[in-house]
Amino acid sequence: MNLVILIRKELLLELRSREILISMITFGASVMLLYAFAFRPTPEALREFAPGLLWTVILFVGVLALHRSHSLEKEFDAFSLLLSAPVERSTLFLSKWFGSFILLVISQVILLPIFFLFLQLPFPSKIVPFIGLFILVDLGISSAGSLLSGAVMRSRVNEFLLPLLLFPMVTPLMISAVKSTAAIMESQPFSQWKLWLQLIVSFVIVFGLVGYLIYDYVSEE
Amino acid sequence: MESFHSKFSTKVMAVTIAIAWFSVLYLVLAVTRIDPDQQMAQKIFYYHVPSAWTAGIAFLMVAVSGGYYLLTKNEKWDQVGFASAELGTLFCALVLISGPIWAKPIWGTSWSWEPRLTTVLIMFLIYIGYFLVRQFGEAGERKRRVSAAIGITAFANVPIIYLSVKFWSAEAQLHPQPAMSQQPADVFWTFMLSLLTFTLLFIHLLRYRLHVLNLQSEISGIRNDI
Repeated sequence: MNLVILIRKELLLELRSREILISMITFGASVMLLYAFAFRPTPEALREFAPGLLWTVILFVGVLALHRSHSLEKEFDAFSLLLSAPVERSTLFLSKWFGSFILLVISQVILLPIFFLFLQLPFPSKIVPFIGLFILVDLGISSAGSLLSGAVMRSRVNEFLLPLLLFPMVTPLMISAVKSTAAIMESQPFSQWKLWLQLIVSFVIVFGLVGYLIYDYVSEE
Repeated sequence: MESFHSKFSTKVMAVTIAIAWFSVLYLVLAVTRIDPDQQMAQKIFYYHVPSAWTAGIAFLMVAVSGGYYLLTKNEKWDQVGFASAELGTLFCALVLISGPIWAKPIWGTSWSWEPRLTTVLIMFLIYIGYFLVRQFGEAGERKRRVSAAIGITAFANVPIIYLSVKFWSAEAQLHPQPAMSQQPADVFWTFMLSLLTFTLLFIHLLRYRLHVLNLQSEISGIRNDI
């Protein structure tokens, strides 16, 4: 129950200001625009690069949400008040995790069509595995990101510490995401990219568990 | 307080490491056979692999001491974790330097996205982030907690990083896979001696670094008292 209230709080804050979502979508679309201008390869080459370009945009956009989810709490020392609430810290981690995850999903609902439109690529025909993959990878990015964002939130320079820690940490997730997306776009059978999916699930489980167990120590003042 | 260098155990350790180090150098250059394919380039193996081994031990220690620190809040564990992270990064750098030196004549290119080399590079970058957090991020007790958390998270991520790079670049599976037990005696024992030397060097440097960190901690305690 506490978890639902906390997630509601995260989303309500965003619904009232809409500052994170608008920033995420504008920033994502701007990067895609730059990609569209910067690369003018053949359609075949573009199809090959597209998964990598797509996931770098999503990671950059994700950092905005992940950074803001904790830095917002610094205003009026809201995080200290949150910590004094009779809620387990691990529940707090789950709320940050799922809150950022939902924001990532909403931003992608808008950014994905823009990506395929700008780069003039056909939208993958296998919609269900495509969406399933995005949900899993978003869970991975937001679990690692929420833990690290919580860890560096009180530092003066948290806006650059977060990507510095997050990018190498999510490398295996990005590799798996790019490979799986490429396989889905090429309509490869599931057996060909099952391995990548297993790695993504392992990443989500490891970071979900580690975050759940140690967020208590990280968030403590 | 007794100086670190005047301790009997330190002197014994330093002399042992020096003798072992020069013995390895002599064995590598004068005794071990020259590989017919790789020639002298293969000799770097006696330093490259033990560096990677030592970096692995160091990062394991960062994670374990991080866990102990979170459980006990004893500053000593933070010092062990920090000192291990520093040494782990140093040995990581040695791996990243010695790997390309060997790869250039053998693979014809200095860098290959080979899983082990790439995993070491990613760990190196993660630990640079670890030091930045300690340097610019947090202060006091919170710094120690956050460092412990990053150390644990980074180590938990190692198998996933390794597997993902391994599957990603199937064509880069060029790394030699020597079965040490099948190696001739001269190669095997020189390698084992080098491994032991690097491990002893790590322990010695860790003890020294812990001594320095302890002194720093005492000085800051005295400064606070004044």
